[in-house]
Amino acid sequence: MKRQYLYILFLLPLLLACKPKAPTHVVDAGTADFTKFIAIGDGHTAGYMDDGLSLDGQKNSLGAMIQQQLMMAGAPAIEMPWMSDQNIGLSLNGLSRLILGYKTDCQGISSLSPVRVSLQGETSALTSSAYNPSKKYSNFGVPGVRMIDMVSTAFGNINLPQHNPFFARMSKDQFNLPGSGNYSSVQENIFDGGYPTFCSIYLGIEDVLPYARSGATQHPMSPLAGFPGVGFEESLTQLCEQLYGQHVNAVIATIPNISDWPFFNTIPYNGLTLDAEKAASLNQIYNPIGISFVVGANPFMVADPNAGMFGVRPAVPGEKILLTAPLDSVKCNQMGSIFPFRNEFVLTTDELATIQLRIDEFNAVIRQKATSYGFALVETGDFYDKLTTGFAYNGATLSAKFVSGGAFSLDGIHLNPRGNALLANEFIKAINKKFSAKIPLINALNYNAILFP
Amino acid sequence: MYVDSATNEMYRTENPVGTPLNFYALVKPKRFHRLAYGLSVTTPFGSTVQYEPGWIGRFAITRLSMKVFHIQPTASFKITDNISIGAGFVFSPGSVNLQKDLPVQFNDGTFGHAEISGAAMGYGYNVGVYYNPGGFLSAGLSYRSGINMSVSDGQVDFTVPEGLAPNFPNGTLSASLALPSVTTLGLNIKPNASWNIVADINYVGWNTYDTLAFDYATNTGSLLDTKSPRMYKNIFAFRGGIQYAVFAKDNVLNVRLGGGFGFSPVPTGYLTPETPDGNRAYFTSGISYEFNKHFSFDASIYATKITRADTNLETQLSGTFTTIAWAPGIGINYNW
Repeated sequence: MKRQYLYILFLLPLLLACKPKAPTHVVDAGTADFTKFIAIGDGHTAGYMDDGLSLDGQKNSLGAMIQQQLMMAGAPAIEMPWMSDQNIGLSLNGLSRLILGYKTDCQGISSLSPVRVSLQGETSALTSSAYNPSKKYSNFGVPGVRMIDMVSTAFGNINLPQHNPFFARMSKDQFNLPGSGNYSSVQENIFDGGYPTFCSIYLGIEDVLPYARSGATQHPMSPLAGFPGVGFEESLTQLCEQLYGQHVNAVIATIPNISDWPFFNTIPYNGLTLDAEKAASLNQIYNPIGISFVVGANPFMVADPNAGMFGVRPAVPGEKILLTAPLDSVKCNQMGSIFPFRNEFVLTTDELATIQLRIDEFNAVIRQKATSYGFALVETGDFYDKLTTGFAYNGATLSAKFVSGGAFSLDGIHLNPRGNALLANEFIKAINKKFSAKIPLINALNYNAILFP
Repeated sequence: MYVDSATNEMYRTENPVGTPLNFYALVKPKRFHRLAYGLSVTTPFGSTVQYEPGWIGRFAITRLSMKVFHIQPTASFKITDNISIGAGFVFSPGSVNLQKDLPVQFNDGTFGHAEISGAAMGYGYNVGVYYNPGGFLSAGLSYRSGINMSVSDGQVDFTVPEGLAPNFPNGTLSASLALPSVTTLGLNIKPNASWNIVADINYVGWNTYDTLAFDYATNTGSLLDTKSPRMYKNIFAFRGGIQYAVFAKDNVLNVRLGGGFGFSPVPTGYLTPETPDGNRAYFTSGISYEFNKHFSFDASIYATKITRADTNLETQLSGTFTTIAWAPGIGINYNW
């Protein structure tokens, strides 16, 4: 075969991508004035997480996240009663914060579990005042503060057992008043450095949470009615009136449905897993009172004084077994089966309904105040509902699941830095909407979720 | 470049210099002048996208490098002086390397990472008919089948904290990518020796690409097989161009100008950072110079800008992708 004609075309184009110009974005405070911003709230606003307050948590607090964005539109630098240690942290019980580590259970099995980062929390923070008259705080997040504590002069009184150590260390009283002295309230401290121009207010969780955490055994919820310092509504009214009288604008948030949090949902009501032998031995004990067990998943046994003469019954769907339930005793000492869970580890459906009713009442008040004072409103319930169903965020999936959900910290109650960033975005959205502002949202992926060893 | 709609944060892709390759050879046996054989090697879908470190879509993708070669031996037969038909095979070897971060963090805050790599192979065919009635007008119709590029023995490597290593076992995986069929109707108008006008319409059968699936050999609670919806749709693309030839003794200078428009196969809600595609208009221009009967030299340039905003339904990445490309090219022709 002779070639008559061979044609070769060889093309080597170079593919170059050019750099498009960066667009410019307008950041604008709208009708709001952030030049003196103060974040008011509880442990969420303060950066309490992993059951402790640490410097790292403070920097990643809800209050700091909101303020950091508002700084683009005129808010001042963040001033907080900084803890001195980055990591150790301090819990309300004096313990250090939780991290994810390896823990060996009663059966000798080692697995990933929340463990305390050190033997003791940063207790030195309890005896040294963080108050500095030349640096007024822009963050009045106080772990544990209730709405009804805001005007309380007992709240920072170190001579009283019920005082709050986190507030005492930041109060302008600096521990040093005599026993008979007139201690200042949180609210007085907030306005000590002059009135702010803008506030974020996220209060009310602590008015219900301690009751729920105790399995509805201790710490009664705040009443709705009553004078400031007693009832929820009038305590909030007084705060709002004081702000309104000074033309302070604000963003205020409702109380989420706390019973959706991992603290109440990690241990399932029917988490009692039995093999044939264990089911048989429990049946021997319980069959005479009409309770039987099967191989596989069974409801835990819970103590209930109303449940017949033995005061014990199986948990029912919808009931919550709390994260405080001693799982080692479940594994090795028949807790939750032969020995029923005590009331402090269980929220019954009746108790849950009571808590929900109170939250709904409080939220109705918060919504009404937001409307009448012209505050921006954050429906935190919508945010936590989304977390409960789970959602995608820039390719990461976040949910309310303990540890794996990536939004809650290891105490199952407070959000981790990434969760705080996402919740802060809800505050920013509400501010943008109400005050026609243009504040960009936070890239929550820049903040840590759960760190693994 | 990507601008996130919520944070205004801007991220760039690194600028890898792509080297698309096109090689064509044509043989016409003297004795059977009605027959012609051709071979082409092209890289129709090669791309490398690398996003800057820490970019907001890092859990969707950090780097994608994909190479697809089409090796097409084709034979054509001239039935009459006016009509030719052709048919051939498409062998399509390729390779893929996809990397992304995982939303799990080491104690120092760094993210886990996954790298999927593998060789792919696909097969297809092409057929065409060319009609030249002898006047100034000629037309062609061709079809290249869809090609299913399958990765049967891919490898996935995870970099994750020790405490999570059992959840992310390294191992093999399989995946496939459906390349579309292309139907082309082309027209060539040559009113005289100097002018040449071409136009064609492509119909691209992208709807075979409805899902990007990864099937891991070992699954765990954290590592499930993934099926990401892509939902591509069939599209039309239009191209046109005009060439003017200047003759000077044995040398010929051709000057070309052209452009095109293609609709994006990516529906709203499915834009991904791996292929930030949008409707595209582009311009091309080129010259070629024939030094003599055998040898000619070719230079061209291609320019396009694509801007598209979308919120991906699966990842919730919400922002605007902007791509500006200038593609200069050179070519060498040699005729025996």
